[in-house]
Amino acid sequence: MKLSTYNFLTSMAIKGVKVGFPLKLTINKKDVVESEFNPTFVERILPKLDWSAVYGAAQVAELTEDIPAVQPENIGENEVLLQKLHHLLFEIDVLEGQLECPETGRVFPITDGIPNMLLNEDEV
Amino acid sequence: METPYTDHLSLEDYEQVYEPAEDSFLLLDALEKDLEYLEQLQPYLCLEVGSGSGVIITALAKKLAGSSLCLATDINLKACDATRRTAVRNGARLDSIRSNLADALRRQSVDVLLFNPPYVVTSDEELQTQKFDSHSESSTDRNLVFSWAGGQDGRRVTDILLKQLDDILSPQGVLYLLLLRENKPEEIIRHLEGLKFRAVKFMERRIPGEHLYILKVTRSSSS
Repeated sequence: MKLSTYNFLTSMAIKGVKVGFPLKLTINKKDVVESEFNPTFVERILPKLDWSAVYGAAQVAELTEDIPAVQPENIGENEVLLQKLHHLLFEIDVLEGQLECPETGRVFPITDGIPNMLLNEDEV
Repeated sequence: METPYTDHLSLEDYEQVYEPAEDSFLLLDALEKDLEYLEQLQPYLCLEVGSGSGVIITALAKKLAGSSLCLATDINLKACDATRRTAVRNGARLDSIRSNLADALRRQSVDVLLFNPPYVVTSDEELQTQKFDSHSESSTDRNLVFSWAGGQDGRRVTDILLKQLDDILSPQGVLYLLLLRENKPEEIIRHLEGLKFRAVKFMERRIPGEHLYILKVTRSSSS
């Protein structure tokens, strides 16, 4: 699971959960998969992302030196930051770890790169 | 659009994961036919629900390489794994998630939604015996039944997705939905109009024993 994907995941489907975002991320094993840097796309997708979850992912991936806690303005003019965001969001692949619902503590394991977000019938 | 390689998938995989067939290829052909539209749409997020072998979302991810985030969900862990392997085999960038439909995704975030549902008309009992739970791998033969058994009118799962469509699609979002004549596409089109969506029969194909359609669905407020 890439950290861009992480930014779109929620536990909102659990009965009684209001927002379910951002999920609390734990990384036990990760891989780095090189992929082509497309600065235009990184810049375009930023408004769709939640910066607190971007920064949260950077903290867990130990990349906080690269990513500022507060979203800077005019990121499009900052190619260095776009490159670092590209690395964080599209090149880090979480292989083993977990996601935790911020409201209920329900844990969703990530195994072989696949987060298991499936809920049991009594949870929905 | 290239048809992805599937030589990494074995007969053993196809005992638990739906093998690409005419319906899969019709959905691929529909995307190919609408490629210009899709490129103009500049989707941020593309999602295939029930991705099975993963050939469809892999083909799209290859085409939109680097300019869109592509995700796949399936309730069947074996299918999630097959999708991930298909992406790797074809050098496509996408993530596979085990989830029911789009339940795990933030609201109104999907720009391109693909669904080749379990559309075969069966008894509802047949569908209800297919219980998944997140802790088990579930028995092998049932995985495959769930990929095609659609209950009454072959619509049980499709109707659930359509009910959630407003929550899933972004304001500019589009859905490509595969249907069978027995699923009553006209009825679905009228139903969607009532939900403020515009649905058209985008493609159709007759194959032995089946008449397949691709419905293209957008919000009636979008152009």
